[in-house]
Amino acid sequence: MAGIKRCTHCILSENFPSIEFDEDGVCNFCRDKLLFSTEKRKVEEAREEIIRMFDNARGRSEYDAIVCYSGGKDSTLTLKLTVEKYNLRVLAFTLENHFTSPGALENIKKVVANLGVDHIVFTPSKKFMVNLYRASSIYDIYNKRTLTRISSNCNSCISLINNTALKYALEKKIPFIISGFTLGQIPVNAIYYQNIYSFLKDSRKPVIEKLKKYAGPEAANYMEINGNLLNRVKSYPYNVNILCLENFTEEEIVRSILPLGWAPPKDVDGCSSNCRLNVFNNYVHEKKLGYNPYELELSHLIRNNLLTREEALEKINDQPQEQIRLIMSELEICDNDIS
Amino acid sequence: MKIITITQEQIQDELLNFLSRQFFVPVSEIDLDKSLVDTGIIDSMGLIEISAYIEQEYRFKVTEDMMHRENFGSVLKIVRFISSQNGKE
Repeated sequence: MAGIKRCTHCILSENFPSIEFDEDGVCNFCRDKLLFSTEKRKVEEAREEIIRMFDNARGRSEYDAIVCYSGGKDSTLTLKLTVEKYNLRVLAFTLENHFTSPGALENIKKVVANLGVDHIVFTPSKKFMVNLYRASSIYDIYNKRTLTRISSNCNSCISLINNTALKYALEKKIPFIISGFTLGQIPVNAIYYQNIYSFLKDSRKPVIEKLKKYAGPEAANYMEINGNLLNRVKSYPYNVNILCLENFTEEEIVRSILPLGWAPPKDVDGCSSNCRLNVFNNYVHEKKLGYNPYELELSHLIRNNLLTREEALEKINDQPQEQIRLIMSELEICDNDIS
Repeated sequence: MKIITITQEQIQDELLNFLSRQFFVPVSEIDLDKSLVDTGIIDSMGLIEISAYIEQEYRFKVTEDMMHRENFGSVLKIVRFISSQNGKE
């Protein structure tokens, strides 16, 4: 992405949807003071409501919360905060996607042991996961606006994680599903929400039909929840993203989780601390849409003084080419497949 | 908190402003009487965001029985839904 025009304050680029630059090269998102003040107010309102919900639910089920735990730095901090700050009884849940960094797998083992939490790992078949990533890389599974904050492969993986976590939560009557998303990765209105599957399933149908067609019919088993379980549901859990309530720099996050035995993995790109696939996902996104899927998230951190512009650029430019080629080989994808 | 005398026109303006900012789409590209999902402006997560927006801005709980296409099937339907609930509590 050399030579591309970027905002002179954040790193949003000229190909990002709805972007406009002023005469100083500053983008409309950086100039939007209303967005900034509204966000602060909504975060405080969310904080009050989340604490109230946690206080009301604590100790009423076998587990208070299922925490989606990838082994990355953000989800590690999320797990730590859920246990130590919010004092919830936790079931940690990891989806092993066959591309998790070996270093991240070691981190997962150490952190769950040190925090003393129960932990389940779900490993979908490698055949399906490869087909899912191939399909998400090659075909237009999602609409372009879905992909403003996330790459297509990450979106497929996170959909699978969310659906699996929801299944466990419904089966075990766990009231909260906690994830490690930060503001920028998700909008302020999604800090917490009730996951009413029955409402959302119709809107997911077009995507699931495409995944069934291109990744295989078993996509339905992984991405949907069967009627027998839904018929037993009395109340849907809330998804809560507690990191949105915090203002940690990356250095502070790492310093906070090092005592749990966490160490930075070596075989990942600048934007991931757990997944080997990420660098390839970003490569596909840039090639198809013309901008990096981390631009919005990192720009949000810059505007909140949690990251410098130089650090953000360093992150999105850290794209080991040999890692991209290795993943393409593992997924049996060539450049001509991605257009 | 919103005052209970807010008009449907105001609700619509605020909703369009929210959709435009949240989903990076010019207001002129939002078809008022078509499904936001079918027209590719939002996905299932977008429905959650709109539901959360309504709860936070208009201070009423969007319950499961309210979540169907008749209430969320287009901008006009969402506006009518908000208007019908606004001021009830």
